[in-house]
Amino acid sequence: MNRVLTLAAYNVRMLLSLRTWFILAWALFGLQIAIYGSLMSKLVSTAVPNYLFYYAIGLMVIVVFDSGAEVGRHFVEHAHEGELPYFLSLPVSRGGFLAAQAIYGVVNTMIKVLPPLIGVLWFVGDLTVQGAVFAMISMFLLGLGITGIMVSMSFIAFKSVDIYSAFLAGLSALIVRFSTVFYPLIFMPSFFSPISVFSPLTYGADLTRWVLGFDPNFLLNPILAAAVVTGVAVGTLSLSARIVDKVIEGVKAA
Amino acid sequence: MAVLISLSLSDMLVVGLVYTRLIPASKAIGSSYFQFLVPGIVVVGLFSAATDTGRRIWLALREGVVQYYLTLPIRTRGLVGAYIISGGLGGIVYSGALLVIAYLSFMLFGAPIPVQGILYAITLIPFLFVLSTGIAGLAAFFASVSRRGEIYWVYAQALQVSMVTISTVFYPAQTIAQYLPAPVATIAEYNPLSLAAGVLRNSAFGGNALETGALANLLATSLPLAVIGALAYWIILRTIRLKGKP
Repeated sequence: MNRVLTLAAYNVRMLLSLRTWFILAWALFGLQIAIYGSLMSKLVSTAVPNYLFYYAIGLMVIVVFDSGAEVGRHFVEHAHEGELPYFLSLPVSRGGFLAAQAIYGVVNTMIKVLPPLIGVLWFVGDLTVQGAVFAMISMFLLGLGITGIMVSMSFIAFKSVDIYSAFLAGLSALIVRFSTVFYPLIFMPSFFSPISVFSPLTYGADLTRWVLGFDPNFLLNPILAAAVVTGVAVGTLSLSARIVDKVIEGVKAA
Repeated sequence: MAVLISLSLSDMLVVGLVYTRLIPASKAIGSSYFQFLVPGIVVVGLFSAATDTGRRIWLALREGVVQYYLTLPIRTRGLVGAYIISGGLGGIVYSGALLVIAYLSFMLFGAPIPVQGILYAITLIPFLFVLSTGIAGLAAFFASVSRRGEIYWVYAQALQVSMVTISTVFYPAQTIAQYLPAPVATIAEYNPLSLAAGVLRNSAFGGNALETGALANLLATSLPLAVIGALAYWIILRTIRLKGKP
């Protein structure tokens, strides 16, 4: 366990050295809320009351998604820059290696999401400890699920990084746009809504909004959302553990 | 290219259609939000393709390919011009493809397309080319001043989010002026992306005659960006030629 934590601490230290990135990410989040969020909320105010809050949570879910995707990319970069064989030579099990990656992902997500979450809740006058904690748990589970999906897909990158990048960009576009990240399911055309129920972001975004007290008429059933988010996290992490265990050997540096 | 097209396509056909159900028609928006948003998506597409020039310059500087370029029998000015022009052409090719898709999606959803609008769109190509070189110049500037590590991506992301957010791509100028401070509204009004989106909405999709004032503003805001970018890239190439490193 100590070895896993040591490996995770190394990754986290590397992460904390990227302070410019975090400051930029928070600043851009603020800019998007202050301009895009506030203006769009004026335009859609008749259809969705308090759209600014709806959008802010959606934007946080995007940050969680990007953070999860970054863990996948981080893993793939390790493989292609030749660092993976070194990590595999360390006295840490494959499961431990994956757990260290997951801890890195969780810390990355927390650093990126927690300050914006507290800022938004304070701005809308809804800042409570239990609200912030449950919202973080919801987004943490979603982040684990996204990390699991991205690491599971990394076997594509072991064949071709270009195909992996293109595949992820396309997948991201579909997962985000066909989800309820920016608009409630009830407003989606009938030919889109069946697709959106396959996006994990739909459940993660609606669950987070529900724990923060958004009008449930615009959201999915919270029990269903919690079950799906938990199921995706557990399922994809188990899948990624199996895939990593099988394909990790023999990965060539770029 | 396929990924960029799929992103823009999903912005038009998914985001555009859903927001059309949320945002009512108005004098500022026009007859539907879909018709308001689609020209803006074409401009965002042009922006994405043009900024790829910055990525290529950054990669060339980082991986030392630029040293090879400097051994070629071409002047530094020629290298700079080639990069800026390639950014312009990339933007035109990509936004041209998006314009065709936009017209097809208008037909699919029964939105009117004035015949003269297509002629105006063709007339606008040189102006969009200049806009694209301006954006490529801006990206080239940031790539040239990115001395350490991955800092270019910090600049690129900040450039994209600020230019697209503070523009009239997603919301009308009247809404910005009504709810945000006057300096922000002025920046949005003179943002080259806003000017291009406005011209496309009015003429290429609205069928109204091209406004010379708007076209002049588009040139006046784009050309200096192209010049600044070209100058920054030229300085860095000259420094590498003289000192062997940036």
